[in-house]
Amino acid sequence: MVAPSATLSVLNRADGSASYQCSSTGSNILGSVNAPVELPGRRDALKPEDATIEVFVKPGTAPAGVGERYVEGILKTLLGRVILGREKGYPRRGVVITLAIIGGESVGRGDPYLILLPALLHTALLALLSASVPLSMTFSATVLAVDESGQIRREPSAEDAATAQSVHVLAFSSKGHLLLNESQGSFDFDTWEKVRQRASAICHGTQLVSADGDVAMAEDVDGRPLEGTLRETVEDQVYRDYNWKINAA
Amino acid sequence: MASSAPPPALTLPPSQFARLQPHAYLLAHLSPPAASNQPSLRANGRQPAQFRPTSANTGSLTHTNGSAVVRVGDTTAVCGVRAELLPTSDIASWSVSHASSGAKHRQNTTKNDADADADESQIQDLNLLVPNLSLSTGCAPGFVPGAPPSALAQSLSHQILGLLHSTRLVRAEDLRVWYQVPSFGGDGDMDVDADDEGQKKKNDGKEIKAFWVLYIDIMIISLAGNAFDAAWAAVLAALRDTRLPRAWWDADNEMVVCSETVAEATRLSLRGLPIASSFCVFEADAAAGWRAVIVPDAEEEKKIEEDQRRGMQRRWILADPDGYEEGLSQERVCLVVDREMGKTVIVKMEKNGGWAVDGRELKQLVDIAAERWESLKLILEQC
Amino acid sequence: MNKEAPLSIAERDFILNALREDVRLDGRAADELRPLKVTFGEEYGHVKVQLGRTSLVTRISAEVTKPHDDRPFDGLFTIAMELTAMGSPAWDNGRQGDLETYVTNVLDRVVRHSNALDTESLCIVKGVSCWSIRADVHITDYDGNLIDAACAGIMAGLQHFRRPDAVVKDGQVIVYGVDERVPVALNITHKPLAVTFHSFDEGKRVILDATRREEQAAEADVVFGLNNAGDVCFMSKFSGSPVDAMVFVNKTSVALDKVKEINAVIDKALQADLAKRAKTGRAEESRAENDR
Repeated sequence: MVAPSATLSVLNRADGSASYQCSSTGSNILGSVNAPVELPGRRDALKPEDATIEVFVKPGTAPAGVGERYVEGILKTLLGRVILGREKGYPRRGVVITLAIIGGESVGRGDPYLILLPALLHTALLALLSASVPLSMTFSATVLAVDESGQIRREPSAEDAATAQSVHVLAFSSKGHLLLNESQGSFDFDTWEKVRQRASAICHGTQLVSADGDVAMAEDVDGRPLEGTLRETVEDQVYRDYNWKINAA
Repeated sequence: MASSAPPPALTLPPSQFARLQPHAYLLAHLSPPAASNQPSLRANGRQPAQFRPTSANTGSLTHTNGSAVVRVGDTTAVCGVRAELLPTSDIASWSVSHASSGAKHRQNTTKNDADADADESQIQDLNLLVPNLSLSTGCAPGFVPGAPPSALAQSLSHQILGLLHSTRLVRAEDLRVWYQVPSFGGDGDMDVDADDEGQKKKNDGKEIKAFWVLYIDIMIISLAGNAFDAAWAAVLAALRDTRLPRAWWDADNEMVVCSETVAEATRLSLRGLPIASSFCVFEADAAAGWRAVIVPDAEEEKKIEEDQRRGMQRRWILADPDGYEEGLSQERVCLVVDREMGKTVIVKMEKNGGWAVDGRELKQLVDIAAERWESLKLILEQC
Repeated sequence: MNKEAPLSIAERDFILNALREDVRLDGRAADELRPLKVTFGEEYGHVKVQLGRTSLVTRISAEVTKPHDDRPFDGLFTIAMELTAMGSPAWDNGRQGDLETYVTNVLDRVVRHSNALDTESLCIVKGVSCWSIRADVHITDYDGNLIDAACAGIMAGLQHFRRPDAVVKDGQVIVYGVDERVPVALNITHKPLAVTFHSFDEGKRVILDATRREEQAAEADVVFGLNNAGDVCFMSKFSGSPVDAMVFVNKTSVALDKVKEINAVIDKALQADLAKRAKTGRAEESRAENDR
């Protein structure tokens, strides 16, 4: 399994940005975050004590439609719980997240956005980190397909997902909570529990708690846990950004 | 001349308290003081796992092929299904075949599905089902006239479309208008090449001449929370009510002709009866907001039993939330289940917006959704 | 919002005074382009254009549709550009601003109306099916001169794109996947590009390829659309203060030089990409042989 690759702060104008490539699904997503920004005309926001989160998903080769509105809703709900919109400077302002699908297949009308969802989530998270938006936790997500024989397949292609019995997207927080679940198809609860276990292993690996209480990431059949890959991307960026300071010390 | 009577304590009627401090109001209902001996009820008087009274009525619109009105408490959805004919000559992609399209068809056929249909994907490829949901002006205070379709309406439309596709509720065969090509003598000159692309259009001299396209329009005329359950129930009831007139290809006039006789119209044969149940999670700690959020560790949290939760940790999973409760909760769960021979099949399971619901809670919710399936099935069958 | 934060008076004066001494902020000459970089992605028709600090991604896609009733022999070609908050924080997502309308209009005229893509070659079966080519422009960074950059992106994309092969057999159109038959390049009749000038001091000073700040300080802009042969297919002075008519005469030849320069960059990138593909293609072929 080839790990996804990501780069932080690729754009000049946006406050934060990230580009994310997932080789197994072939998706290539560019994300930008502007935060905090003034949002005039939206002063009547539902919660004046909180930041307004706006998510915009731009498909690569088609005009945006209802499918994009729906996936924007999913991202907005999830990120709304992760972004600390009440920190200083954020209430009554906006966090504007723009995600452009600049590579890979487009999603057809009425097709579920599930296959792309983890990539969109990761891009949004990395862009938020790059814009230094305060977050309560990070998360990692994956998509799994279950075929007729009950085999679980990680990050299926569009064709695999179309022939699968059920498709599941799960996101876990850095503390192990199930943050998001989107399952479609027909399945029973036992199947879902198996899927949840596998997804948890993909995102977090098999956790080993060492003597001093630190949680170490262990590798298993799925290669490096996603959580670790994302963490490393950010660490690399921090190292580059503070190169001057580290070298001087 | 000071009066000896103390100034009256500041009191508020419940309706004002509910508006000023909605969170505290609902919390007080759900966690009454131990001394009062009152049961834990929601502000609307329901048990946490209790759904609102539901009623359904079909066939109320005369100019549609099928229609239904579904009321779930104060949320009312009207659904009308209108069938239009789409001649295959008008479909740009009809005469196009992809040399490598073998793997594209969906194959999740269930066991009792005798008529496994290789071309089931036609419904999706040709857009034969077109649902559109509108939140009508005034269905809730926030909806003003003349506004473009809100993000909520658009995403509900998409959810319904996605569910229609993934449950394969409508059979593609019901929507086809066939034409039996009269055979003129020998078939000796049949083209060998006709085999690969011929599968799609011709079998035994039969040819698809047109499709029925079902325009499924849903209007929420009153919105008091949980629009999806009501809308989906309305779609389901309307599709069960839908009758398509008999249509055939008139070879002389080269057009599709429909019969006017009502008796000849046929109902759709739907696959299963998937029913949606939505839940929201109300957290005691929501006032929370003004303080920094302290997120507990998932592993530690799992050890706390539900009835052991105290104070800030307490939370309630509320079935079929009304508008007031929806405004007070962030986490949502939506389950769509079907039952076949006593077995519960999950068709769709979504949860988002929080971390209270995990495997254990979802398992309970699936059981609640299965109960809801039984009760709603009775309602839909009676109408 | 939809408007960039205006320049401060001091900033504007600084830019103007420097220009009066023939100095630009980034040290370029008046008729000099910023460094232009064109790169292609793995898919056909995926182009990344970097012009100084302006960058964008263009994607070309094709699908089979029904032609318009009044033009049964013509395929369809659309250019879609939507400005999102990604390019500049000043742009609102999902709301069309003046700049978007203007740039889309110019691109339409330079590329589409000049018939750079031969739409008749997109016809498959008369009146029944044709190819619909769509060019999507994603602006990822905005630092002035959107028109020239987007135009170069679309033209490079059209030249790079390969559509699947389609064959008509017994009234049936068979589309072959990219891995089954060698995909077909589009029929490009000529390669028009846009070159934008900005004028200052009532049209006395004219510069090429302005940055965002220079654009904000400018009084008017003049856009030329022409191809390598020097055929002018578009010329506009849309708004702003008057410009001396001689500017049009003098700058046309400058524009022609720049068009040749940009086209040379695109050609070079195309050649390099082609060579790369040929190499990996051979590698794949030899691997396939080894498998057998």
